[in-house]
Formats: sequence, C-alpha cells, structure tokens
Amino acid sequence: MAQSGRPPASIRIDGVTKTFDGQVKAVDDVTLDIEAGEFFSLLGPSGCGKTTTLRLIAGFETADAGRIVVGGQDITDLPVHKRDMGMVFQSYALFPHRTVAENVAFGLRMRGLPKAEIAERVAAALKQVALDGYEARRPSQLSGGQQQRVALARAIVIRPAVLLCDEPLGALDRKLRQSMQFELKQLQKELGVTLVFVTHDQEEALAMSDRIAVMNAGKVEQVGAPSEIYDRPRTRFVADFIGEINLFEGAWSGGRFVTGKDRTLPAVTNGARSGTGIIAVRPEKTRLVGEIDGALGGRIETANFLGGQVLYRVVTDEGRAVLAKEQNVGTSSRKVGDRVGVAWMPSDAVSLEA
Amino acid sequence: MSARRLDAGRVAYYTLNGAILTFLLLPLAIVAVFALNPTPYISFPPVGVTLRWFEKFFANEDFMRSLWLSLRVAAMVLVLSTVLGAMCALALARGRLPGAGILTAFFMSPLMLPAILTGLALFQVLLLSGVGRPVWGLVMGHTLVAVPYVLRTTLAVLANFDTRVEEAASSLGASPVRVFFEVTLPLIRPGVIAGGIFAFIVSFDQFPISLFLVLPKGETLPVVLFNYMKFDLDGAIAAASMVSIVMALSVVLLLERVIGLKAYVKL
Ligand SMILES: Nc1ncnc2c1ncn2[C@@H]1O[C@H](COP(=O)(O)OP(=O)(O)O)[C@@H](O)[C@H]1O
Ligand SMILES: [Mg+2]
Repeated sequence: MAQSGRPPASIRIDGVTKTFDGQVKAVDDVTLDIEAGEFFSLLGPSGCGKTTTLRLIAGFETADAGRIVVGGQDITDLPVHKRDMGMVFQSYALFPHRTVAENVAFGLRMRGLPKAEIAERVAAALKQVALDGYEARRPSQLSGGQQQRVALARAIVIRPAVLLCDEPLGALDRKLRQSMQFELKQLQKELGVTLVFVTHDQEEALAMSDRIAVMNAGKVEQVGAPSEIYDRPRTRFVADFIGEINLFEGAWSGGRFVTGKDRTLPAVTNGARSGTGIIAVRPEKTRLVGEIDGALGGRIETANFLGGQVLYRVVTDEGRAVLAKEQNVGTSSRKVGDRVGVAWMPSDAVSLEA
Repeated sequence: MSARRLDAGRVAYYTLNGAILTFLLLPLAIVAVFALNPTPYISFPPVGVTLRWFEKFFANEDFMRSLWLSLRVAAMVLVLSTVLGAMCALALARGRLPGAGILTAFFMSPLMLPAILTGLALFQVLLLSGVGRPVWGLVMGHTLVAVPYVLRTTLAVLANFDTRVEEAASSLGASPVRVFFEVTLPLIRPGVIAGGIFAFIVSFDQFPISLFLVLPKGETLPVVLFNYMKFDLDGAIAAASMVSIVMALSVVLLLERVIGLKAYVKL
C-alpha cells in the first residue's frame, strides 16, 4: 500500500543561527538546500549542532537569525503543531501511557480523521515496520528495536512531506542497526519523503545518504554526495572525520607540493598555487612499491589483516607514519620490517583548505 | 555457598520488614482490640468481644454530624489542593519563573510551621475581617497545609518528566492545550493523585487547625473526639478510630480503583 499521499517538500535553511544562553553558538550561520525526496544526512561529532539544526527545522527551537523555507513556504514563525513534519527522536519519546496502536494513531486523531480510516492507516503503518500483532502492547513491553519502529510508524503514518530523524539507530546493537539502515532507506524511497537524518556515524551516513552535510562547531564544512565527501574532502576537518586518511603538511612552490626536507609528493600540479598547504591521501589509494624515485621510503611497522585487504602502517625515513591499504590477492609476501616505498597517483592526492 | 549467603540476606530482609510492619501496625491492632473489648474503660487484656462501642458511636448524633462534616471538608480539600497543587507545580517546574526556588520554599512553608500557629493565624484573620468561622474558612485552612503534599509529589514526577514526549505530541499536530490534556496531565497524574490522597488524610484527621476554625455544633470528628475524651475514655473512642481508618482506607482504594494508580506506577 502506497503511503505517500503528498509530494515531498524541499527544505531551505537560510543563514540560520541559534545561540544558547547567550554564548554557545550551537548553529552558526548555516545555509543548506535540501531537495525534495532526498535522503539528507547531518553528520558530525557530538556537540557540533546536528540536533539543534534538526530541532530548528521541526520548530522546537526558534532561530536567532535566518529563515527556514519548506516546500516554498516560509515556516520560520509557524508553531510546531502546524508544521506537519514527522519526527523520530533519539530516545524515541513514545507515549508510555498508551499502547502501540494508540501511539501510532495519535497524529491521525489530532487531525480528526474518522475512526475507520485511523484504524486502517495504523494497521498499514505497523505492517510497514513489521510490527503487526503488537497493537495492544505498551512501549515498556517492547525491545529497543521495536520501540524504534513504533516511533517510525508514528511519524510516517501522518504522511509527512518531511521526516526528521535524530540518530534513530544510535541505541541499537550493530547487527540490528545494519538491517534497520537498509530498511529505513528502503522505506524512504517507497514513501518518497524528504528525510533529514542526523548521525555521528560516518559509515552510516556514507551508506544511506543521497547527500551529506558535514558539520563542525555549528558550521557546515562541506555538502556533497557520499563519494564526493569521501574522495574529495574540502577541509582538513572533513578529511580527518571521514574514514582513515594520510595528511601531509607542506608548501606549494613552483606548482609542486613540497614537504619536509625538500621532498616533492605526488599531487596534481597547479602553477597557480603557492604558500603552505595540506594534501590528503586515502590509504586505499596508495600502492606499496620498491624503493623507487618519487616514492616515500620507509619500513613496515605493522600489518593488519582485514580480510579482503591488508592495512600497513609504514614509518618513513623522516619518521612519519603512513597508512597504506593493499588488496589481499594472496600473493603478497610483505612482512613487518620490510623496506618499501609508498606511492600514489597525483590525481588521488586531495589538496585541502586549511 | 552463594545460596547460603542469599538465604541469610533473605532472612535479614524479611525480619527487618516484619519488624517495621509490626511497629507501624501494632497501634492499629491495639485500637482494634480496645474497640471490641466490652469493659467500660480502656483496659488490657481484653475480656471478650462486643460491638456495643460501634453501636454507641453510630447512635451518637455529635459523632455522626462531625463525621459527615469531616468527610465533606476532606473531599473539598482533596479537590482544591490537587488542582492548586498541580497548577503550582507546573508553573514552578515549567514556567521559568524568576526565583522559582524561593517560591517553592514559600509554598512548602506550611509544612514547616507548627500547625497550631497556622490555625491561630487563620483564626485571627477570619475574626478580624469579620467573616466569622464559616465552613469554607475551615476548608481553606486545611487546603493551606494540604497543598504542599500535592506540590511535592507532583514536582517529583515533573523532575523525571521527559519533555521530548510532549514535543513528539506537538510534532504530531497537537496544539499546546491538547498536549497538556493528552500527554502532560496523564503522565503527572500518579503524582497528583498520590498528593491528593495525602491531602484527604491530612484534612480528615486535622486537629490543630480545626480547633481554631470550628463553631460549636460544627466541629469536625477529631475535635469532637478530643472533647469526648476529656470526659469519657471508653471504647467508643477506639470504635471511632477504627471507623476513621476504614473510611480513609476506602477513599484510597476507591481512588486507586477509579482513577487507577497501578497503570502508571511503572513510569
Ligand atoms: N537546550 C540547550 N541549552 C543549552 N545548550 C544547548 C542546548 N541544546 C544544545 N546545546 C549546546 O549546543 C551545542 C550543540 O548541541 P547539539 O545540537 O545537541 O549537538 P549534536 O546533536 O551535534 O551532538 C552543544 O554545545 C550543546 O551543549
Ligand atoms: Mg544530538
């Protein structure tokens, strides 16, 4: 049964700032354009302002400055209960004094729908989250994963144009989390709803999102598709936060990237660049070669077998640790203590803004 | 080894609980014995079983009038103090009032003053303002000392209240008024009802305040019992006590049955 009775809405957050207690800038001049029907993640470390951004969209917080426009309508001053958005809380926030069915029916009851329609839609929503048969239970009688799904059903049953989720999978164990990631993504596509998803888990964000906004200290550092964020991080913070990466500090001179004692590292030559800079290289973009010209010479310090791959930690002659990942093709004879050279394609080195 | 230790712990647990229960319930048992003992003065050990003291209590016009008055006053105090106490608690916990701490202490202060002073003060206020000693004055006086109980139990519930639940309701389309009646009120209800039960009992056996605020022939049961005891110390007093206990217990059970404390206790 198609639940989507309404086209998804775009969200525009325009220069929004929120300060708590006159000092903590939880959200600092954030501008975001979220497309209709998009799975959009807010990703960042704890305390970076993800939840506050989500609560500003939902209307639980009022912005000090800026506008929020949803589906072309400026909702900055609209009270929460008129915004018509589904919200899944980190703590689920189920009504403890109501049964599962009553929890899910709540939003429909507030809309004054006829009893028969409510019953039908509650049943359909519970089916969608695979909780049919649990109607009469109370939240306290459910497992964490089941509570999470009740919270989801309660939010989607009102067929919102926008669904907001604050770390909805954060409290689940790893296995359950992975299957819920898949199900949530599936459900979002089925419903065609615009989903704003908050997480501090980069793997989760990379796996689920159409686009990601990486946040740091109240500001948006970079917005892009998962592959963009991963392969082309713009700032040092983004590069560092997402996955493992090797960072090299140095300077651009004559179009080359030079580090340490006059050592040129492979990077796309750009005559226009000058001054200090940082380049970043993913471990899996590196190759271990012999001690040839242009490669960073060093000694393998540790080798971690990851199954399909092997992760080497190489300490270079300058004393720098470099991570290198190689496919496990079954023929490698490298072992700890071997001397190797680390090399990469110039195009795989990303030049970062400070 | 561990099973033995567990047993020792259990024995200690039950012994302690048994001791506490005995300490709390023994006076009731003694009153029950006196109420059923036929001797015309309170004495021990009992010499038989009789219902004559209950008959005397129920046949006495003063007792009946005052029992009825006490019940009516306590019911009014129950309603007034739950409404006032719950509203105060909500305002103090949620209102972001300046000086909420001081206000809380102020509303709790009747518990800290000797009730006899409160009674005397109320007596003077009522007398000086020339309204005499109407029943509503009595109700007001009782409410004054009953509100802190409701306030305290409701504040305790509000301190552990997850406001996200209210936010969830409003995100689902509930206006602030509906959030209050659909979510807030049902969730603070156990605290309010527990406070209301205290309020009823505080009023039903209130003595020091009533002493100042009742008129002759308009006394509450505790005052009548006190006056009776000055001249007679027979089993009717014990019978009256038994009746009071049963009445208070019935109200508690009734509230529990009708409004249902159990469903929410596990919050
Ligand atoms: N209600 C609040 N009062 C005061 N400070 C707050 C409040 N909510 C959030 N903050 C602060 O704002 C910052 C961002 O918080 P939050 O948005 O919850 O971060 P995140 O969800 O990314 O972990 C933090 O420094 C947090 O302490
Ligand atoms: Mg958060």
